[in-house]
Amino acid sequence: MSTATFTRERSGWALPRFMTAEHPFPWLAPITVMLLVFGIYPLAYSVWLSFHKRNVVSRQLDFAGFHQWARAFSDTRMWDALETTLIYTFIALAVQLALGILIALLLDTDRKGYGILRALMTLPLVVPPAVTGMMFLLMQDGSFGVLSFYLYALNLISPAQPILTQPVTALLAILLADIWQWTPFMVLIILAGLRALPKEPFEAAAIDGASGIQTFLRLTLPMLRKVIAVAVLIRGVDLFRIYDYVYIISAGGPGTATETLSFYAGRIYFTGDFPYAATLSLIVLVVLIGVSNLFVRLFKVRF
Amino acid sequence: MSFRDHDKKTFVADTCNDFTARRITKRDFMRKMALAGIGFSAFGSAMLGGGRPNRGMLGFGVEEARAQDTDMLKWLADVGKPYAGTKIRYTSEATPPTIVANQLVAGEFTKATGIEVEVEIVPLEQVLAKATQDVQGQLGTYDVYYLDQSWMATFAQDVIDPREYYDQNKALAMPNFDWDDFSKPLVDGIAMYNGKQCGIPFDIPIFILMYRKDLFDKHNIALPTDLDAYLKAVQALTEAEKGNGIFGTACQAKSGHYSLECDWTFALWGHGGSIFNKDKKFVGNDERGIAGLKFYQELVKNSPPSATTWTWDGQGQALTQGQAAMAITWGEDFPGFDANDSKVKGLFEALPAPKEVPGRRATADCGFNEIPAVGHQGGSTISLSQYSKNKEAAWLFMQWVCSKDVMARVSTLGGGASPMRNSSFTDPRVKAKAVVGPGTTRHFEAIKYTIDNQMGSEPDMPIWADLSNNDIPVELGKLLTGQDYGGDAKACLDAIAHIVDGKVKDAGL
Repeated sequence: MSTATFTRERSGWALPRFMTAEHPFPWLAPITVMLLVFGIYPLAYSVWLSFHKRNVVSRQLDFAGFHQWARAFSDTRMWDALETTLIYTFIALAVQLALGILIALLLDTDRKGYGILRALMTLPLVVPPAVTGMMFLLMQDGSFGVLSFYLYALNLISPAQPILTQPVTALLAILLADIWQWTPFMVLIILAGLRALPKEPFEAAAIDGASGIQTFLRLTLPMLRKVIAVAVLIRGVDLFRIYDYVYIISAGGPGTATETLSFYAGRIYFTGDFPYAATLSLIVLVVLIGVSNLFVRLFKVRF
Repeated sequence: MSFRDHDKKTFVADTCNDFTARRITKRDFMRKMALAGIGFSAFGSAMLGGGRPNRGMLGFGVEEARAQDTDMLKWLADVGKPYAGTKIRYTSEATPPTIVANQLVAGEFTKATGIEVEVEIVPLEQVLAKATQDVQGQLGTYDVYYLDQSWMATFAQDVIDPREYYDQNKALAMPNFDWDDFSKPLVDGIAMYNGKQCGIPFDIPIFILMYRKDLFDKHNIALPTDLDAYLKAVQALTEAEKGNGIFGTACQAKSGHYSLECDWTFALWGHGGSIFNKDKKFVGNDERGIAGLKFYQELVKNSPPSATTWTWDGQGQALTQGQAAMAITWGEDFPGFDANDSKVKGLFEALPAPKEVPGRRATADCGFNEIPAVGHQGGSTISLSQYSKNKEAAWLFMQWVCSKDVMARVSTLGGGASPMRNSSFTDPRVKAKAVVGPGTTRHFEAIKYTIDNQMGSEPDMPIWADLSNNDIPVELGKLLTGQDYGGDAKACLDAIAHIVDGKVKDAGL
């Protein structure tokens, strides 16, 4: 006998069926409302904006059809920003994943003291990204930054061409901050995956005389495949939306060499051209949805 | 030590004792501590959002913060009664007038009137975005706006003419407000748009020449009288001092930042060019414009290599750290050079910028009310929102914050922030600061001359915020960092002309 039926029998009155515990509506209602207010409405408003044009004189938003979309696709700066974003995402993801696996393997032990090391790994994650950006900006400053100082001393870069004045080094400078802050995230997810692996296959491999590399390539990596896929998906989405480090460290410069798509959208937003900024943001969203879906299908990720 | 001196120096300790002994209320404790710590707080506020240069803001005593105009406070208490309990909101960049006002408002204005003022300090681009959203929806979220001079055309229809409002609301008109005391070039250059006054001048960072006298004396270099001589002096100083880590100048040439646009307009106007002609066409790419940009490219070459990553903050820091011998830039940097932690304390002198070559283009030959002159101004107004639901209370706040007494204190407490009122230049409190030291006002003579004689103003047009914060500095950044145009100033300016003319046409201007 269900609780609802029991309540009805004892009290003699009943709630409508859709309001009872056996029905999901009451439990889904709050989150549905939140989703509508904070998710669907802003998205719908952005889509609506992207089909309008702001008249700077009258202040009115006039319907403009696909004007903003056509403008975006013919905007070389948008394509450059998209390219920069993809390069940034790819490099950061590759480095963070490689370092994440390596460090996770090193930390996957029950020896004394490693617990503290694992805890220390989380420290960069609690620093606000804006603070991390400022930290690296100061370290990379061409005149008094400690990182610049050592790079000059090692003759790796010239004082006449400080880190943030050159397109390649400026992008690397932003990547460095991102890698420092987010590699521990990869480490933690992969470490959790490693800890959950069954011991038997590894014991069998050891008895069969498999080498460490063989064990890693034939057992560890395939068994971690889905954990890695989830980590890559989460970080990939985050990286593609990169804004804060760019804003603080390079502001898109030198020139537009480090201008990412989100940063470009933000810059347009702050000039008051809300429809075009909304269109650029939607492009970020469309690319993310497309790539994420492809990735989920390809790696058969199940949540 | 006199009793009075002792009293001042033990102010903080005594206040704490009074509070712990319950002799004063928590509110009074906070107010007194705010007064005592006003300099420190102001420093913190100045850090918010990378405001415009005001490195001289280093702290000051309780005596300097005290209001002198008690009659004004009595008047405010009388007329403000009906509005007690009202809360007004004001959004602004972290500039000296706002920071000082923020520190003084609770203890003076709110105490007298009962009107609460919420000051929201954010970076300049966010001030623009917030104000734009507010006027777009006519929301009245903010009662008072801080408006940069380059936005005046954009917001002219959304603000109330303060002169008209003053004349129409006699009961709320502050006695002795003295409108004529405001510097006329500032009112014309910052606040006026198509015959309407859009606000009260509130802040005036302006370009002057600041130079290291010791280095000029050491190398026997004559002070430049025009921009050609200025460039030669910059090159000579780089040549002579580069080995010591000192460059001839320092630029604020960060790609895509408004600071780069400001530097460029100074170079353009200084070479007799202008952004627009009277037919509203971009002419920054004419012969004078190209000469101006080539001149600026030379300045960047004679700056520390990081100059292309600096806004006004980096530039001011470089000058304060002794990395550059001189610059034509924001006069507000000057007090920072005399600060105690400066490496060049007492070494810098200030003069009006050298005159333009080959001469100034007439204002009548320019479009959108552009005023081409070498002293680029980056002023702003405080403006009353058309959509405010608390206009009367907001108007009282505006009059208080722009009163003679408060504005003079903005210059002293704000660490040598440039005055908007003529009376501030002659105020004894301001003149007493005209010595080497933190918050100096010894550069005010150069500031006053520049305001009165060679102040340059950007065009008044609704899309100027977009052009000056995005398109123009982005393309200039590509040129200066070698990302595009192969160092060809004309190619860069032609590209800017194409973008600007396209947007002007698109906007139907």
